[in-house]
Amino acid sequence: MSSYYRIGIDTGGTFTDVVLADDQGRMLIGKALTTKEKISQGMLEAIGVAAEQLGASTADVLAKTQLLIYGSTRATNAILEEKTARTALIVTEGFPDVLVRREGGKENPWDFTQPFPEPYVPRRQTFELPERMTAEGEIFKPFDEAAALEIISRLRQENIEAVAVCLLWSMVNPAHEERFGALLEQHMPGVPYTLSSRLNPVIREYRRASAAAIDASLKPLMQEHLREMETDLQAAGFRGDLLPATSLGGVAAVGDVIERPILMVRSGPALGPVLGAAYAEAETGDQNVIVCDTGGTSFDVSLVRDGRPVRSRETWLGGRYSGHLTGLSAVDARSVGSGGGSIAWVDAGGLLQVGPESAGAMPGPACYGRGGDRATVTDAAVVLGYLDPDYFLGGRMALDVKAARQVVGGIADRLGCSLHEAAYGIMTIASEHMVEATKEITINEGVDPRDSLIIAGGGAGGLNLVLIARELGCKRLLFPRTAGVLCACGAQFSDIAREWSASRVMRSDRFDLAEAGEVLDHLRGEMAAFEQTFENWRVEGFRQEFIVEARYLGQVWEIEIPLQSDLKTQQDVEALIAQFHDAHEAIFAIRDANEVIEFMQWRARMTAQLKKPAMEAVLEGGAQEPAAAKRISTYFRETGEVEIPVYQGETLKPGMRIEGPALIAEPTTTIVLHAGSEARVTALGNHMVEIDV
Amino acid sequence: MARKEGVEPTTDSQLDPILVSVLANRFDAIVREMTNTLFRTGRSAILNTAKDFSCCIVTNDHNLLSAVDSLQIHVMGAGLQTPSIHEFHDDVCEGDAFLHNDPYLGNTHIADHTILVPVYVDGEHLFTSCAKAHQADCGNAQPTTYMPFAQDVYEEAGLVFPCVRIQKDYRDIDDIIRMCRSRIRVPDVWFGDYLATLGAARIGEKRLKELVARYGRETVVSFVREWLDYSERRMGHAISQLPAGELRASSCHDPLPGLPDGVPVNVTIRVKPEDEIIEVDLRDNVDCVPAGINLSEASSRTSAMIGVLNCVDSSVPRNGGSFRRINVLLRDNCVVGKPKFPASCSMATTNMTNRLINATQRAFSELGSEYGLAEGAASMGAGLGVISGKDARSNGDEYVNQILLSNNGGPASPVCDGWVTYGMPDCATTTLVDSIEICELKYPILVRSLHLLKDSGGAGKFRGAPAHEIVYGPRFDKMTVAYFAEMNQHPPLGAREGLPGAMSYVRKIEKDGSETDLPPIGVTELEPGEWIRGAESGGGGLGDPHERDRERVRRDLEEGWVTPEAAASVYGYRGE
Repeated sequence: MSSYYRIGIDTGGTFTDVVLADDQGRMLIGKALTTKEKISQGMLEAIGVAAEQLGASTADVLAKTQLLIYGSTRATNAILEEKTARTALIVTEGFPDVLVRREGGKENPWDFTQPFPEPYVPRRQTFELPERMTAEGEIFKPFDEAAALEIISRLRQENIEAVAVCLLWSMVNPAHEERFGALLEQHMPGVPYTLSSRLNPVIREYRRASAAAIDASLKPLMQEHLREMETDLQAAGFRGDLLPATSLGGVAAVGDVIERPILMVRSGPALGPVLGAAYAEAETGDQNVIVCDTGGTSFDVSLVRDGRPVRSRETWLGGRYSGHLTGLSAVDARSVGSGGGSIAWVDAGGLLQVGPESAGAMPGPACYGRGGDRATVTDAAVVLGYLDPDYFLGGRMALDVKAARQVVGGIADRLGCSLHEAAYGIMTIASEHMVEATKEITINEGVDPRDSLIIAGGGAGGLNLVLIARELGCKRLLFPRTAGVLCACGAQFSDIAREWSASRVMRSDRFDLAEAGEVLDHLRGEMAAFEQTFENWRVEGFRQEFIVEARYLGQVWEIEIPLQSDLKTQQDVEALIAQFHDAHEAIFAIRDANEVIEFMQWRARMTAQLKKPAMEAVLEGGAQEPAAAKRISTYFRETGEVEIPVYQGETLKPGMRIEGPALIAEPTTTIVLHAGSEARVTALGNHMVEIDV
Repeated sequence: MARKEGVEPTTDSQLDPILVSVLANRFDAIVREMTNTLFRTGRSAILNTAKDFSCCIVTNDHNLLSAVDSLQIHVMGAGLQTPSIHEFHDDVCEGDAFLHNDPYLGNTHIADHTILVPVYVDGEHLFTSCAKAHQADCGNAQPTTYMPFAQDVYEEAGLVFPCVRIQKDYRDIDDIIRMCRSRIRVPDVWFGDYLATLGAARIGEKRLKELVARYGRETVVSFVREWLDYSERRMGHAISQLPAGELRASSCHDPLPGLPDGVPVNVTIRVKPEDEIIEVDLRDNVDCVPAGINLSEASSRTSAMIGVLNCVDSSVPRNGGSFRRINVLLRDNCVVGKPKFPASCSMATTNMTNRLINATQRAFSELGSEYGLAEGAASMGAGLGVISGKDARSNGDEYVNQILLSNNGGPASPVCDGWVTYGMPDCATTTLVDSIEICELKYPILVRSLHLLKDSGGAGKFRGAPAHEIVYGPRFDKMTVAYFAEMNQHPPLGAREGLPGAMSYVRKIEKDGSETDLPPIGVTELEPGEWIRGAESGGGGLGDPHERDRERVRRDLEEGWVTPEAAASVYGYRGE
């Protein structure tokens, strides 16, 4: 029996995924239906499924579990389903419409049928406070104490449950926000609030206001949820530490997340690059990794560049322009509406389209036999023979081949082509959306996909990733053995991560070493204080990084430059300047060598490293040839109909090679190997696919 | 030709239809990457915050191929601009880039600097990669990119580049750079924006070459032909579904000095579903006027097309193929036609453009209650003005830039209310809004308020979006504001019993707090302690306000979009 365990959990809308790691580095998968009324119930069930494979009981495993990492879509869904707290927004007098305006823009300017989106906080719950700071943080109009108290009494009358405060220029001088916060504590004790200057001290009033509003609105809900979760787990015998996953691609203490619940928004996909970095390090040493996760309704792609997850401040909830921007620096995980359940259709001009509409879990693809009557990507895969109808979800669900052929046949009739051509077309178009999303996140950020490793997973991830990799010119593709539960697996490799930032504008032409030292010392102080809180934690070590967000004079969008020195000498500054020019050229193809550089935000990131599953060879090697379980008739564009072997994943041993065309059936995903690709089982038991491009 | 119920699948296709979809996506993706580059690297706020620029790809026979995410007015006429490359140069080759801002040669107006990069594959000019950006300054007689009072191009006085080579062998031709630097008011900003625009066009060039290398010249060339044909079929099909009819609408631009009655615009539209053609006739309009509001040919054509396209299924691709189904009839020496030199087209992307788009889209509402749109608001008053002066915070450096803080209300449609951050008809919903903090950081101004105005959206079964009102002023030194609050006298009209949106206004707040009206068009100077207050206009409503869903009226009241008085008197709402 293992002496300790670590559990990674990803609670999705449909399934709760669990990865249980023991002290030998073994990782076992558990899956159960998500129980929305009481999340811990589905969680414990999934843990039970994983524990059973070790011959242990849930209580046994929980008692020996040191860390339980919890990724969840709960915060994201609460926002999208508008089930958050009744929240008020306090703004500077004269500017009540900051959340209505957003930053403008619309996805399709020719579409006049889309209604203007509602603001995150209704206008009737937005209150204007007489006060004003200037751009330099001087008081232009003093804080009006009487008016503030009047607002607070209205908040009470309106039964407001949470308060967000965002005043102009509060990131330069937070005094007025702090004063309002103090009045709230005095007059509305217990009502949670968020100050924009504490949560997200960046320029651009919409981004601060949106972050503060989202954060405040989640506080009552997430506080209750996490407290209840702790209680339930303790009741089940858990004595270790519960650590929620965050959008920074790490984990945080429950107390920290309760203070800033916005960190839990899109925390699941943020685990992608964590997993990517861990597997790349263990398998190949790649520094640039693209992580692709294909589920039923969406394809999430994220990136590790130079060994670190790529972050962005552009996370939209509910669609670019018309949704809500979180505004925080977070792992950049892009999502496109293309997955196994995406619906195929033929437009008025006779062209095939796939998605973004999805059949979801109900009715699901036609082949699920639950009344779905429109062709989906999964149906196309069934028609093409890529999914073994008798071994779907490890044989737990039979697929209706006839239904799949019927709906794809409808598409073929409209296109005037054969059944197989239509199915292959659906696969190709779905892949195309994924290729574009991947290109956008790599090429736009100056990463060449041809020199990168792709790590793929998700239930539908094996169907077309070889096609996608080939289209991107990417030669190597890794499917972890736990590919079907990518995020829960990423949770196994995450550390505690926390960031601080300071706004201090400095210029390359009059760079002040003393001032830079001051900023960095301030950030070091924050980190030291945070480190003190770890006495009782099982932390193996700490890592500190500094990042500066910089731009050419006059630009307004910064790029991130990791500091490689502590900026003590003029030479260090020269090196930083050269680093900026290079990075700007790498991303945007232009360099303005004589232009002044402005350094805007200084960030410190601290990682408290946790113990992780050992990535060691756990399977016996096998010299023998892999044995196919059966042969199956499939269709590929290049070859037409062809009979190919199917291998059961659990029968494969390290060192074995499988040449495409072939299928590898794992319990939670199927990998389609096209001709010209070859899979090798690595010493760690993962599938490394090499592709001729 | 008989009216068809659907569109036949491609029969003469040599290309796999799947590949057609894939390649169409690829071209769009290239344009998106160009756009992202320009947005993130531009120096002036009008580019890097308000996004007043566009990127597109044009074929070697001057068909617009992809212009996703672009401003409507900027690019739909790009095919009129690209012929200049070979017309004026017989030694075009790889590595060239051309600067083109001449409204008499297919450009929109002088302030829109366009970089054209011919993309060569195996010695053949296959595509032109285009990036067009509105400049902070273009060397006009006054510190503004809009010159309403200019009698002709000589008074307008902006620097004109009639498709001039600005790069050879991928290197700047310094003569041209020096010309710009010596005449444009903020030379460093101009140069930074030039680099950003050029960078976008070069990224487009690089990606197009990679695309052709990946798929082969033959495939790409046949794709282009088929994609344009497909788009034409889609447009033909959409038109075939419309009722036939001849539609007329008029609009009137507000008065200008010497034009006390304003400038009327007449549009006649012939919808011919059987021929799958829409014809827009603009010939029945007045001659060019001695003011900066004449339209360039590109703007005239494009405006009529925008008005039509706003009323056609939004999923039909907008490109040279679908444009073949729209005939725009123009005449020489016409204020909305082909300008007669030296008429000034300084404001050819806004004023008459907006009037023309509005009249066209409103005309379609005559076809029935499910067609057309009301009129969109289109003021460019205080909150969208061009500010200039010196910034005491950076040693008196000069600044000049159009701010896009305020906004106009969008038109109601047959199914929903107007869009709040609409911009204007010429660039509806594509430009972004400035951040107050970014503006105050970059320019020495203080904004005192910025909010939506109650009751300013035109009432209707569907309501026009409300106008914004702004108050701002200089902090340390005097500041000049050039503005043009159009729709101060002729509001954006409603359609089918919908009411017009509220009209714009501009006021000055003196040091003692008193307010006086300013003329709706002008250039005004403010001292620190003085403020300018301005409202743009509201969008027109569509349908009878009494037919508005009562739940919508109740929500409008609760959220403060309308006052209780208006709810009762205009909507007939009695609290039910």
